[in-house]
Amino acid sequence: MLLKNDYEKVEDYLNGQLHGEQLAQFEQRLQQEPRLAEELKEQQLLKKSFLLYGQRNQFKQKLEAIHQEMETENTRIKTSVFNRYAIQAFWKQHLPTMAVAASVAIITVLSSFLVLDYVRSLESKQATYYRALKREVDNIKKTQRSISSRSGITPAPEVRAVRYTATGFVVSANGYLVTDYHVIEGADSLFIESRLESSRTSRPDKVQRYKVKEVYSDPASDLAILKIVDTSFVPFTQLPYSFKAIESDLGESVYTLAFPREDMVYGEGSISSQTGFEGDTTAYQISIPVNPGNSGGPLLDDKGHLIGIIKGKSMAEDGAAFAVKSKHLLKLIRSIPRDSLPEPLILPMANRMKKLKRPEQIKQIQGLVFNVKVYH
Amino acid sequence: MGKTFYQNEEELLAAMRQQDSIALNIIYKTYFPMILHFVSNNNGTEQEAKDIYQEGIIVLYENVQQSTFVLSCKIKTYLYSVCRRLWLKRIAEKGKYLGRIEDFENFIALEDDQAEMDEKETQYKVMRQALDQLGEPCRTIMEDFFVHNLSMQQITDKMGYTNADNAKNQKYKCLMRLKKLFFNSYRDE
Repeated sequence: MLLKNDYEKVEDYLNGQLHGEQLAQFEQRLQQEPRLAEELKEQQLLKKSFLLYGQRNQFKQKLEAIHQEMETENTRIKTSVFNRYAIQAFWKQHLPTMAVAASVAIITVLSSFLVLDYVRSLESKQATYYRALKREVDNIKKTQRSISSRSGITPAPEVRAVRYTATGFVVSANGYLVTDYHVIEGADSLFIESRLESSRTSRPDKVQRYKVKEVYSDPASDLAILKIVDTSFVPFTQLPYSFKAIESDLGESVYTLAFPREDMVYGEGSISSQTGFEGDTTAYQISIPVNPGNSGGPLLDDKGHLIGIIKGKSMAEDGAAFAVKSKHLLKLIRSIPRDSLPEPLILPMANRMKKLKRPEQIKQIQGLVFNVKVYH
Repeated sequence: MGKTFYQNEEELLAAMRQQDSIALNIIYKTYFPMILHFVSNNNGTEQEAKDIYQEGIIVLYENVQQSTFVLSCKIKTYLYSVCRRLWLKRIAEKGKYLGRIEDFENFIALEDDQAEMDEKETQYKVMRQALDQLGEPCRTIMEDFFVHNLSMQQITDKMGYTNADNAKNQKYKCLMRLKKLFFNSYRDE
């Protein structure tokens, strides 16, 4: 411990109150007595710390005052500042979770799109393999227009052109016809047309034209029942063919009449399979070359039994056409509620063509096979 | 007294250097929410946030007083870094450190200032403890002597000693006791 006397010297030295001889003496002592020097250092540190302490305390009081002021100040501003931090904290806390959730969502959405796309492409692939046989007539319309404009005649008021044509045939003498559902699907109005030769009129090339409407249809088996609603319609005579209620055998020779173009076309082949496209049990596969427009054409066997209705062909294989079995047509007709038909649908019972040769058979039938024109 | 608007941070700091209370006010109020948020998100209370923040402000203030001090980043970043470090130290002392600090701002390393800051911190803490143990009237005498730079005669008058020699004796005793208290714990630190 330092003596009081010495201590005062130290203090005076620090305060710069030692002068001349006293100062020199003290400095000499400092060099000689390490203890004194140590004391001096300690005193310096003490003073420094004390000053620091004092200053800090003072400053702290100032800060405390500011803090109090801030706390009592408008709390609205404070909370708004806090909100910013709250939001920041929220993001910080939940960002990883949200990021994971979002990426899962994105992956899910993308993959389901991809899968859907793939499935759809499969469907369209299938659609390219299978082709329904209604015929689009847009081309014809265009050529007709260009002819009329070239001839300089102002075209007559726009007549809506036929969109599709196909085939249909009579199933009941009082004016019921059958065709494929895909033919009339979405149709505005339907007409049937046929060029009669011998059986009903004496004049050849007379066009018979009736308005028909759909009375019943079944998209599942691709069948539709039409009824002639034209007032000029005279009931047909008794139908020469009958419907076969059982399935026909493989290899049986069959033929069809249809309108792939404006005139009736005959096609023949045989039953090549008892199932249709992709194992469809409601249809036959037949080896008749068919074209768009053949849809709805009657399929008859040697004896003139009606055994099916042409509905489409496979694009993947050659010479594979499909026809709905007559069994299903009969089933459909029987399932029609009686009230939904304006007149009873009477199916022909007897086959009057059994003994006829094929050209004779065709002569009997051709007046009953119509070109179905579909307007959209 | 200065103005209420400052063009930029340099101006604000310059005002703070001149002990402008408005500048201090602005700085204090602007960044307190940031530190409060930081501390309360790292296992601290509002009171602790306030303590830490005031210490941080003191560090900034003391540094700004030194003419050699140059702030190399924004005030915000500096305050955040200082308070962050102080808080790390504090929770380490409390044994509550969980090994992970939630950060909300950028921060800088403060290696240069670290030793000095720690030194000052220790001096302050030890002095506070020593003074608490010293008790009255020594504490007042010491304050008058060191802080207010009163002469022996003034101290004599203030404390009601009969003469300056008495006061001097009293002061000497007090100083020796303070010195003992201070250096005992200072060497431990």
